Amino acid sequence: MIITKKKDFKDLMENLKNYQKFFLIGCSECASLCGTGNEEAIKELTEALTAEGKEVTGGFVPKTGCQVLGTKKELKAFKEQLAETDCILVMSCGAGTQTAVELFPDKPVYPTNDSLFLGNMTRFQMFDERCSLCGECILDKTGGICPVTTCPKGLLNGPCGGMQEGHCEVSPDIPCAWVRIYERMKKLDKLEEFRVTIVEAKDWSQGQKPRTLYAREKKKKEE
Amino acid sequence: MAFREKLESGEFVVTAEVGPPKGTDIEEMIHHIDLLKDKVDAINFTDNQSAVMRMNSLAGCKIALERGAEPILQMTCRDRNRIGLQSDLLGAYALGVRNVLCMTGDHVSAGDHKQAKPVYDVESVQLLKIVDSLNNGKDMAGNDLKGATQFFQGAVVTPEANPLEPQLIKFEKKVKAGAKFFQTQAIYDIEKFKEFMKYARKYPVKIIAGLVVLKSAGMAKFLNNFVPGIVVPDELIEELKAAGKEKALDTGLDICARHIRQLKEEAICDGVHIMAIGMEDKVPEILERAGLL
Repeated sequence: MIITKKKDFKDLMENLKNYQKFFLIGCSECASLCGTGNEEAIKELTEALTAEGKEVTGGFVPKTGCQVLGTKKELKAFKEQLAETDCILVMSCGAGTQTAVELFPDKPVYPTNDSLFLGNMTRFQMFDERCSLCGECILDKTGGICPVTTCPKGLLNGPCGGMQEGHCEVSPDIPCAWVRIYERMKKLDKLEEFRVTIVEAKDWSQGQKPRTLYAREKKKKEE
Repeated sequence: MAFREKLESGEFVVTAEVGPPKGTDIEEMIHHIDLLKDKVDAINFTDNQSAVMRMNSLAGCKIALERGAEPILQMTCRDRNRIGLQSDLLGAYALGVRNVLCMTGDHVSAGDHKQAKPVYDVESVQLLKIVDSLNNGKDMAGNDLKGATQFFQGAVVTPEANPLEPQLIKFEKKVKAGAKFFQTQAIYDIEKFKEFMKYARKYPVKIIAGLVVLKSAGMAKFLNNFVPGIVVPDELIEELKAAGKEKALDTGLDICARHIRQLKEEAICDGVHIMAIGMEDKVPEILERAGLL
């Protein structure tokens, strides 16, 4: 999921100083799991804005904030409240914010969160980054553990000289990705694969921004 | 060039290390080059070591060439993408540099520009493959070069890494990627190093043992605690302690010289790489004590 973090409230208020009436849009997917865009977060922000003398005309948690057409449909019920506002606040990720930007071409839209990374939830609201959406998955060559993401240098062929007792030179809190890969491949009896394969330099053009995909295009051709 | 020929002919080589200055004042670097050039077979010029921004390695190499010294260009993958690396390699070759040491490079978080974007477009194993490709007249993308390089390419290895096996697997990949020689991370335990050499001798590469001069017991403890892959045995720390503050450096020079002598006399490896780290002036004395001058 996309991990988000609430912006510092003071910074947010600085961004919003020229506006008075707000409509809040959350998201029932990632931002709800992060606690940044669920009903409770909307309630909290409504109270905080009110305490600052601002007005909140309404709020809503769409099912999937990055789904443009679905969100558009859901928001139809809030036409009046949305018309009244002079600013829309989006409490999900950067994708959700830009859904609102597309749906409301005449209104200012501001994010209340910072979007951090694609994360796994390991415990309740505890996240870590394991995939960086590089566009060319090499997990098949690395025992299913991603060094592009979990090694700060993104090394593809083994640990660097900075590894110390299984930890990374960048921080003792970071386990060395390549020691983890080595241990897993050893356990799976695949060490020989690690030994003989030189993983080629990554094709970063696969991650050339901005990326688009039309998944149905291929299906049509196959039909 | 002499370094390669000497190494390939099986002679024991000595290399040392010079860090280019932080600034444009090259007086001290020139002093070190002049001091070392007739006493060692080649001088490594570091590439923004510890991710601290300095003059580039190539400028150091060029100045060394002008003064009749043989340089080894250290090249890390931290600051340049594959275009920059290849371009600099071609430029270095045109300027007369023939030896290159391919390394990944310390992370920017270790240095003095922590906000910098680390590059690592490629890494050490892939950089070795790039050099091999340039030597064969092709760039990394397979395009023909107008004039190939003829680099003598090396890499680094940490014989005391813990756990060791993943480091050894990477060593093997570096050999396969074309590394001809290795300069190791600092070693202090010769018996343990012999074990590593027993393994490394299975590969057709030359091994140059890295030696960092100990200045005091405190420095030895610092290396043990904070520098990955360096283990100074307790008996050496005791020896430095016993020497007392005033004689500690002298003892450190003795230890270094003793190790060089043993590595050479017992033909344990193919040479030594002395990392004096600010004590380049002492290198001739170490070599003298080791019986190499």
